[in-house]
Amino acid sequence: MESTVTGRKNGDQPPVVQYDGVVKRFGSLTVLNGVSARVNKGEVVCLIGPSGSGKSTLLRCTNALEIADGGRVVFEGQPLPKTEAELRHVRRRMGMVFQNFELFPHMTALENVAVGPITILGADPAEARAKAQALLEKVGLGAKGGNHPSALSGGQQQRVAIARALAMDPDVMLFDEPTSALDPETIGEVLNVMKRLAEEGMTMVVVTHEMSFARRVANWILVFDEGRVIEEGPPAQIFDAPTHARTQSFLSHLGWNG
Amino acid sequence: MTLDWNVVWQYRGDLAYGVLLTIALTVATMAIAVPGGIAVMLMRQSHVRAVSFLGTVFVEFFRNVPLILLVYWAFYVLPILTDIQFSAFATGLVAMCLNVSAYNAETFRAGVNSIRKGQLEAAMAMGMSRSQAMRKVVLPQAIRRILPVLASTWVSLFKDTSLVSVIAVGELAHTALQIRSQTFRVLEMLTAMAAIYWLLGYPQAKLVDWIHRKYGVTE
Ligand SMILES: Nc1ncnc2c1ncn2[C@@H]1O[C@H](COP(=O)(O)OP(=O)(O)OP(=O)(O)O)[C@@H](O)[C@H]1O
Ligand SMILES: [Mg+2]
Repeated sequence: MESTVTGRKNGDQPPVVQYDGVVKRFGSLTVLNGVSARVNKGEVVCLIGPSGSGKSTLLRCTNALEIADGGRVVFEGQPLPKTEAELRHVRRRMGMVFQNFELFPHMTALENVAVGPITILGADPAEARAKAQALLEKVGLGAKGGNHPSALSGGQQQRVAIARALAMDPDVMLFDEPTSALDPETIGEVLNVMKRLAEEGMTMVVVTHEMSFARRVANWILVFDEGRVIEEGPPAQIFDAPTHARTQSFLSHLGWNG
Repeated sequence: MTLDWNVVWQYRGDLAYGVLLTIALTVATMAIAVPGGIAVMLMRQSHVRAVSFLGTVFVEFFRNVPLILLVYWAFYVLPILTDIQFSAFATGLVAMCLNVSAYNAETFRAGVNSIRKGQLEAAMAMGMSRSQAMRKVVLPQAIRRILPVLASTWVSLFKDTSLVSVIAVGELAHTALQIRSQTFRVLEMLTAMAAIYWLLGYPQAKLVDWIHRKYGVTE
């Protein structure tokens, strides 16, 4: 498959997210062991690596769902604040998409998308709903606004979840294996929405096992193993000429053959 | 022995008033004990040790003291504690509310704990505060899930209001027992009382069954 974009973008500008030696422990288990990396404006950075290597944990440290024990996460030039009140302001500018969608089941698709602006930003409900409708149309679900999540397929639910995150006008989108819980038929529709988002210039951090997506869409790949970034580079380098033996075995384990 | 059912008809006005008070007491108790239960549950989940301890003491105390004792206790202790002379109805209401709030707090706690953590995280990740996430995301789901339990509590509560008759609240039980002692129509009045409780309670129980079927199993 031909890659459309490769290599870093906007390297001359300050990064949107920067990780400086991030350490995270759960009890005696060190899950992140000094991770440093940067995410530039408009980039798609994909996190790949074996199960349990700390990818989700780094993503959750980004918006402080987990608090790093060491090092720091810098967002738009500022280290993540300490108080809950300040963190809420930071989180508004980061959208997160979960493996299990985590749509709110007691709300319709439209309400799911509108609830953030209304509740958090105090937006006018009518305006918020109009914007939510536009976002649903953007992810190809303009006719499904009245459906509750239980009346949507997995792929549709995940697209609503993406629209919900976009409703807050985030500066960066965090995706944690957004297609891992999906039936194979519906993976493509979610990846297409993500690809379009990337083309519009959205800054994205994506944990994924979809190697062909990473190959085609990512600007930069971080390979995780045992709480460290063991290798990073543009997709062409990582997939075609990985230097680290663990990267090679991880990719061949997935059946990736360049 | 001759039975005189006429006595029931003769006192229909008093009995109807008793029924009204029983219903009022049930409605008022639930109207207070639902927010009360939520408040106590939130206290128990507070990060402030003293607050969560208070919440736990409240639940464990008022849930495990017999209701009739609470009713007597409210009757004798409340005026001393507050220096206010409560009406019998208000006293009974306080006792019922303490007991049912404690039960509801446990019900809500189970309901909230049954909502998976990812829901709270999704709300927080959007930038909601903990209390916004509770109000908008967790509690609406939790309440739906525990509706059958709340409905069962309601039905027990409706019958348990008869306990406040011991402090002379003029609800159905007290009224019926008063008429009994004035007319010496023991069997008639007890039978009438049972019939009225049953007639009022049975549709409620059926409604609860329906709620169980509708909401009990859904995710
Ligand atoms: N809340 C937690 N408490 C204890 N251990 C945790 C917690 N969250 C994650 N871990 C552990 O941290 C390690 C890294 O987890 P993480 O979810 O970041 O891995 P991952 O790279 O995302 O893996 P996967 O591909 O399976 O999602 C795992 O060993 C996991 O069991
Ligand atoms: Mg993970």
